Amino acid sequence: MERETLEVDVLIVGGGPAGMSAALRLSQLQKQKGGEALAIAVLEKAREVGAHMLSGAVLDPSALRLLVPDFQARGAPLASEVRKDEVYFLTRSSKLRFPITPPPLQNHGNYIISLNRFVKWLGGLVEAEGTDVFTGFSASEVLYENDGVVGIRTGDRGIGKHGEKKSNFEAGVDIRAKVTILADGVRGNLTKAVVRRLALDAGRAPQLYAIGIKELWEVPKDRLAAGTVLHTMGFPLRMEEFGGGFIYAMPDGVLSVGFVTGLDYRDPMFDPHVRFQHFKRHPLVAAVLEGGQMVRYGAKALPEGGWHTIPRVYADGLLIAGDAGGFLNSMRLKGVHLAMRTGMLAAETAFEAIRAGDTSAARLRAYEVAIGASDVRRELYPVRNVHQSFSYGLIPGLLYSGLSLVSGGWWIRDPMPAHAGYERVARIAEYYREGRPDPDSTVNPAKIDRRLTFDRLTNVHYSGTRHAEDQPSHLLVYDTDICRTRCREEYGNPCTRFCPANVYEMVDGGDGTKRLQINASNCVHCKTCDIMDPYQIIDWVPPEGGGGPQYEGM
Amino acid sequence: MILVIAEQRDGQLNRATWETVAAAQQAGGPVKVVVLGSGVESVATDVAAADAAEVIVVDAAPLGQYTADGYVQALAALIQQENPALVFLPHTYQTRDFAPALAARLGRALVTDATAVRKQDDGFVYTRPVFQGKLGADVAANGPTPHLVTFQIGSYRADAAARGASPAAVRRADIAIDAGAIRQKPEAPFKEAKQAVDLSQAERIVAVGRGIKSQDNLKLAEQLAQALGAEIAASRPICDAGWLPMDRQIGSSGQTVAPKLYIALGISGAIQHLVGMKGSRTIVAINKDAEAPIFEIADYGIAGDLFEIVPAMIAELQK
Repeated sequence: MERETLEVDVLIVGGGPAGMSAALRLSQLQKQKGGEALAIAVLEKAREVGAHMLSGAVLDPSALRLLVPDFQARGAPLASEVRKDEVYFLTRSSKLRFPITPPPLQNHGNYIISLNRFVKWLGGLVEAEGTDVFTGFSASEVLYENDGVVGIRTGDRGIGKHGEKKSNFEAGVDIRAKVTILADGVRGNLTKAVVRRLALDAGRAPQLYAIGIKELWEVPKDRLAAGTVLHTMGFPLRMEEFGGGFIYAMPDGVLSVGFVTGLDYRDPMFDPHVRFQHFKRHPLVAAVLEGGQMVRYGAKALPEGGWHTIPRVYADGLLIAGDAGGFLNSMRLKGVHLAMRTGMLAAETAFEAIRAGDTSAARLRAYEVAIGASDVRRELYPVRNVHQSFSYGLIPGLLYSGLSLVSGGWWIRDPMPAHAGYERVARIAEYYREGRPDPDSTVNPAKIDRRLTFDRLTNVHYSGTRHAEDQPSHLLVYDTDICRTRCREEYGNPCTRFCPANVYEMVDGGDGTKRLQINASNCVHCKTCDIMDPYQIIDWVPPEGGGGPQYEGM
Repeated sequence: MILVIAEQRDGQLNRATWETVAAAQQAGGPVKVVVLGSGVESVATDVAAADAAEVIVVDAAPLGQYTADGYVQALAALIQQENPALVFLPHTYQTRDFAPALAARLGRALVTDATAVRKQDDGFVYTRPVFQGKLGADVAANGPTPHLVTFQIGSYRADAAARGASPAAVRRADIAIDAGAIRQKPEAPFKEAKQAVDLSQAERIVAVGRGIKSQDNLKLAEQLAQALGAEIAASRPICDAGWLPMDRQIGSSGQTVAPKLYIALGISGAIQHLVGMKGSRTIVAINKDAEAPIFEIADYGIAGDLFEIVPAMIAELQK
């Protein structure tokens, strides 16, 4: 097949905070150091910059200050400075406020932002420097030569449901680059493939993930002062589950309301979306949302494993930055500044390497060295075992986290042993010894009133997700027989619960059994299924470019 | 003066024209209606029933079959001649094809898919859906008039178009069409995959959802549709399962319809479906689950077993 080829010096895959910071840093270096202009391209699967961005988000502005020192003057969309931190421990019907805010959750000097707006702004700065941002293009595979990365191939467009070429078929383009910076986000499809092929995770601990589900609400203006940051622990999670809720107040009565759950729970019937509904029904939260309106919905996984789970982030022609590499501080619940910082460091390494005419792994290792000497390590290393410690339960987790603040994260066994989340899920027979729950119904359901609480399908509508309908499913399930037989028996089809977008459904197979139906066009690109399916037979690949959520204001 | 562009094919007036006439009348008129084509006197006579200042006919052989170039050429010339304050069009597939080019040719603003128009201060404000119909945004057009506005199917009711006491005058406009400047050569129309249905034209629709349970049971819905002279349609799961073709799907990833009568059989009423049919005039819902959201927008709701109720309805209709 004929393919077009595009040659650039640096290709950045993923236009999030890491990718955009890398692009911006490259054009700054270009200006500072002169010389022949580098050709830079940014590839982004969303239809427009920022459309797939979702985070809490409270921004630590440290990296922003380095990247754009005059960010205030240049109109950075920072919704509100944090003015008040509150942390609560919730029980079913009451709350206990922490007398002091634990230091990692102190947000003095930080800003509440909409990551969607923030990245849109950052993307504007990148484009103003003359860098091409190709939106609406997904990257489907990595191009290798002798196990070195030489670029990527973009996804084909115009393929029908059954794999046939439609009249608007366009073959994907090969983009070849001296250095490819993968910033394809949490569980990025290219990072996943390249880590596997080049064994970049050899000797590292398994990544631990969480899923964050978030809604944007509009409530009466005087409900919660702008700049209020509220975190909760406890209900609706049990001691054995990791996670918590948040409410961030922006001006004009706009609230970010969300719930994060560790994707290393044991209960196979656990349903993060249902827990989020329970969270909203808690008196503390319900009182804040009363009379308000949910206006947006979304979900995204987070890499929470920390320092020991970060793969080797360089190879011949390759650098990995941001969530794709696992740069996130799960104790501070922050990753945007680390994404930006690693993006910048990747840009610096790539720039020097290209100028030196050597983009081999030996040269690009400078990136790892730079990370080791930077704030990124200073921040992540002391909390390297935090999420892992919660796999022993909430109390041991809290105790260890407290201890790590003074001990620098030391533990008898370092790295603290942990299993990948999908391995921790128990079988129904092990977990429910008293009696087997019906896999098609919810254990401990939340009442859905479509005012405060919503069913998944209604929520999906508010994510603005759209995909071209006539295309193959971008969720590859390698053996749907397992769903029908083994998984139904052993785990009760947990995909129908951990997916926050109603993509997976078990429907009547017509022969008395249930079969898996994949509603691929509901997908919000959170990656949870790829992470959490107990048999690891689900592969998330990008749909036709441009498809996906529309996270305006998220 | 508001110029309404009528849509016709093979001498058949598109029903959506009447909706656009209603929009123009409610915006405050006076209204003139344009009919383009070749040998379209009978269409002009039909349209002349409207309460309109006049009906203008652009009759030319090159307009016999629709082409974007032909329509843009004819309408650009006509609009310059008539100099209306506004140009209203139905938001049909055909309009979507030529209206952007027409607006660009004239250098005028184009507002698409409007659901309402109202006068405000010196100008007009249009409501158009954003976020897949979740929100309605009020927009005003900038720049010199006439602004071009297309109206979503079903946003105005065809029978709300006022008829005149006597037929409006029909006038032939003097516009020469340069056939050589038409770059498109239309082939004979064909229906893709045999059955491209435009459900937006249906006056009655029987729609089925998951509650129908099996493909065999579709026969029941088809019998009801036949007894009512209705089109059959479905919610997403039915089309996903391949029980009905995708072009029968109503909702955010299918068609948007606003028939006079919409009968929802075994449809729970997910918001994705509701945005595609909530403009229907009368909604009848039959569902086992009395809590189903479809009942929140239904004019008549029957909480019960469709396999008992539908046969009874068919029997009654056949009496």
